[in-house]
Amino acid sequence: MIGDYKGEVKNKVLVALLQAYLDILDYDGMKSILKEAEMLHLKDIKDKDPNQTLDFFSFKKIISAQNCLLYDSSILLFEVGKKFSFYLFPYGKKFEEIIYEINNLIKTDWKVEIVENKDNVITIKVLKCIFCSEIGVSCDLFKGFLVHSLEKSLPSEDKVVCKTDVKDLHDPNHNTFSIQLKIEKSIK
Amino acid sequence: MDKKKRVILKLALLGDAAVGKTSLINHYIEESFKEDYSPTLGVNIVMKKLDYENAEIQLAIWDIAGQDKYDLTRKLFFEGCYGSLLVYDISRVSTFESIKTKWFKDFEKFARSDGVYILIGNKVDLKEQIMVPTEKGKELAEKLKAIDFLETSAKFGDNVERAFKKLVQQVLPKFGIEIEFDLD
Repeated sequence: MIGDYKGEVKNKVLVALLQAYLDILDYDGMKSILKEAEMLHLKDIKDKDPNQTLDFFSFKKIISAQNCLLYDSSILLFEVGKKFSFYLFPYGKKFEEIIYEINNLIKTDWKVEIVENKDNVITIKVLKCIFCSEIGVSCDLFKGFLVHSLEKSLPSEDKVVCKTDVKDLHDPNHNTFSIQLKIEKSIK
Repeated sequence: MDKKKRVILKLALLGDAAVGKTSLINHYIEESFKEDYSPTLGVNIVMKKLDYENAEIQLAIWDIAGQDKYDLTRKLFFEGCYGSLLVYDISRVSTFESIKTKWFKDFEKFARSDGVYILIGNKVDLKEQIMVPTEKGKELAEKLKAIDFLETSAKFGDNVERAFKKLVQQVLPKFGIEIEFDLD
């Protein structure tokens, strides 16, 4: 890992992420990621105060390990992202509130904002996304997170499809991108 | 300027529970063997770095749980997989049958369409308990169009390194990398 990783992350963010790993990859899968990140001691973080913070560098090591081990596993990462949203915001929230909160729960040099919301299409700008800063890594986890976060605020029959403007994953700035979430209403 | 090619290569070990998938990986990565069996829960992923003059290869080796309870989620684990060791236990015929009826089919269906595989008959150290003779293994490998058939012992290391090297050697040309491994 190269770069400056200053900032802090609420414990509950990592708890939600580890729970998502557990659901999708089971215990050994979660352990593999923590081991690769040399962060195995954080496996029981759920027992700590969820509102305490963890340094961003440790969190980023886990994300980097995940991106290395799950390289080329887009569907899995997307599913992990959906579960991550489910566990981080279990009681349902407005999509706008989730976007506001994720910026506050992970405080570092990044930003997520809704730039447009009309005609059932929401455009989100992500600056320096922390979930895909590695060269060659697509942002499937955060896509899954956003899709599920929006979907759970909609009637259950409605679907959300997403597309991004990322063109070249090998561009060092590929982690600054726009993502469009389109709500497909069910026809009754 | 560093002109080394860098690739991450996803490989998977597939086969019924307790055929020795984790033990094969442990022997390949750290030359260790544990007598006691503890089943893999979900998937265990380990990285191994291979450094050559013209390429730096990171193997992401997926040790996928063989228990039936993972049948629904397992297919997600195959995505992007370039190669596999299809492993059975030479002392249990049922594990050999599962290669045909389950593991090969899953790999063909869910892994990359150009994925390659080697058929592995593990536990050759259990000489007194052989239920699947070598000839049967060879026949099946031919039938499944496997790139090779090897009998291994994760306990003593027979053919373990060879199996992984052969698999990697077959996959690398897809990335434009040619490496002659010493397979002896």
